[in-house]
Amino acid sequence: MNESVFAFMDEDAKKEIRRTLLKAVAIPGYTVPFASREMPVARGWGTGGLQITLSLLLKRDCIKVIDQGCDGSVNAVNIRDFIASVSGVKQTFSTREATIIQTRHRIPEHKLAEGQILVFQVPYPEVLTTVEPDTEKQKQMHADSDYSKLWVLLYEDTSQFGDSRISNRYPVEVEDHYVMDPSPIPKYDIPRLNNSPALLLFGAGREKRIYAIPPYTKVEPLKFSDRPFKVETFAGKRCGRCGADNVFLDEVRQGTTSLYFCSDTEYCDSILTEQGDVTGNTESE
Amino acid sequence: MSYVAIKGGIEAIKSSKELFRRLLQGTEPMAAKDVSRRFPFACDRIMAEGALYSEKLAARAMLRSGGDLLEAAFYLRAHRSTCRRLGEAEPVAGGELRLLRRISSAFKDIEGGQILGPSCDYVIRLFRSRLQQEKSSPVTGEADPIYSPSAVESLRQRDQVLVLGNREKSPFDVTRSFPLPPYPRSALMQVMARGESGSMLAFAYTSMRGYGDVHPTIGDLRIGMAEICFAHPFTGGKVKIGEIRATFCETVGSFQRDPRDGRLRLSTGFGFCLGHNETRAISMSILDLAMHHRGYSVGGMDIAANPEIVIHHIDGIESMGFTNHFKLPHYVTFQADLHVYENARKESDE
Repeated sequence: MNESVFAFMDEDAKKEIRRTLLKAVAIPGYTVPFASREMPVARGWGTGGLQITLSLLLKRDCIKVIDQGCDGSVNAVNIRDFIASVSGVKQTFSTREATIIQTRHRIPEHKLAEGQILVFQVPYPEVLTTVEPDTEKQKQMHADSDYSKLWVLLYEDTSQFGDSRISNRYPVEVEDHYVMDPSPIPKYDIPRLNNSPALLLFGAGREKRIYAIPPYTKVEPLKFSDRPFKVETFAGKRCGRCGADNVFLDEVRQGTTSLYFCSDTEYCDSILTEQGDVTGNTESE
Repeated sequence: MSYVAIKGGIEAIKSSKELFRRLLQGTEPMAAKDVSRRFPFACDRIMAEGALYSEKLAARAMLRSGGDLLEAAFYLRAHRSTCRRLGEAEPVAGGELRLLRRISSAFKDIEGGQILGPSCDYVIRLFRSRLQQEKSSPVTGEADPIYSPSAVESLRQRDQVLVLGNREKSPFDVTRSFPLPPYPRSALMQVMARGESGSMLAFAYTSMRGYGDVHPTIGDLRIGMAEICFAHPFTGGKVKIGEIRATFCETVGSFQRDPRDGRLRLSTGFGFCLGHNETRAISMSILDLAMHHRGYSVGGMDIAANPEIVIHHIDGIESMGFTNHFKLPHYVTFQADLHVYENARKESDE
């Protein structure tokens, strides 16, 4: 490898990905195929997100990487170290300070701002896979806006279990047109995709697709009009560390009892800092 | 080429074997022990697919086959046929593994802790990289052996796991008789424990990628050492006869209606193999999950959920043998094929 290449990939590869991104932004929710390069981390570990991040990086960027909401999670640390080592850009845990945030399975709790980019790592870019595995048929169904099989699945689940059995990767309709897979974020994060001031980019390295939700786009979960969309609630539970009760919590089981902590560790740290608890032992580290 | 050449096979075979031997001649002889140390994953794969736990024989097989892992596993399988079956060892529970590594992707923090142990998961795969020039840091580990129950236990304690019914008094042994459908789960387990890693990975991947509906969460994945105990033939008491390296994986799937009481419970899959091979153990647990919890499969093309497909097609020794048998002379059958073809063509041309 030529160590002097900024951000690992050759300039042509980055340009190709940026062009794919432009198309994706122009057709919100549509999955655009791209020639996914081999990354030095394994497929399925965030190579799609990584390629987007690397192709967008500028020297002045400030990068944050989270996995399950946590900056200190092993995969997040590994990817952030890699990005920093090949580009030399500034790293941060702070959601507010970051210009590009690469994420797996969460949207940060702090509201994102205009100008920020959130890059999602995506295992299954095709929302129809669950009901139709054949790629050619999927393409036709998208062209016809034929999402009847998803509606049938939703109906079958609702009739048997009172609600959809989909816990994450909940299908969303983008700007009244394409239905897309929002990556495995919990239902809690689904309403937070709607009307986002930040640019949301989605990269699936193994499946070789890129898609996007531009800022201030309408994003709605697929649901029957007479059924409410129920997100995970943690009624009566609060973070055992910072006390937050309005966030997504991780459950830690000890025998038959459970403790709860903020899934977004940087949010947790920032609450503690505001409360004046400066122990220095931040969860993120 | 004439028939004479074909009949002159004895000399040709002798020379061919000699050429193969020469092909594998190294600059220096390599000790089997060195092979075990340098290539533990190759040796573990040979033991698992060869269905025989012997580090020494695996290393020898590796040398004998020039690193062709299937061929090496074949040596162990052949050797097995010379060994008597003495009986069944005592079952080993996952919680009894002396842990080298143990992770759960289901829960952030688990009883006993996440133990990364030795793993190449977070290695940046570049020949030259600044990241790989990390100074070796001293590993501070607990000297005491670590044992811990599976992280799936917390779900079991809350009665959240669907337990499959079991009518088998003792595990099936496919090496003594091959079952007819419906295949006992233990027979499927045994075939998978001996299955070819790549085949199992491919079938499991069909299920997780699109042709099936298994999107599992790894409840507990562990590698460690398991003590093997056997009932003493005279005293009947439990005796430790050795220790094996093993990989254990429990995955959690979607919830299902439990046929026992109609309540909803989570389905789980189990994978286990001799030696360290995480990809293989995860693949096995996914196949187990797919085959025994078919309720919500969509599309009707879920081949990984079909025990008939899995049980007959994942054995590497069998599929490799049959694939290579096409190199044998087929003069007679091909002659017959040609006759049929020529007649048909004559008929069709007219």
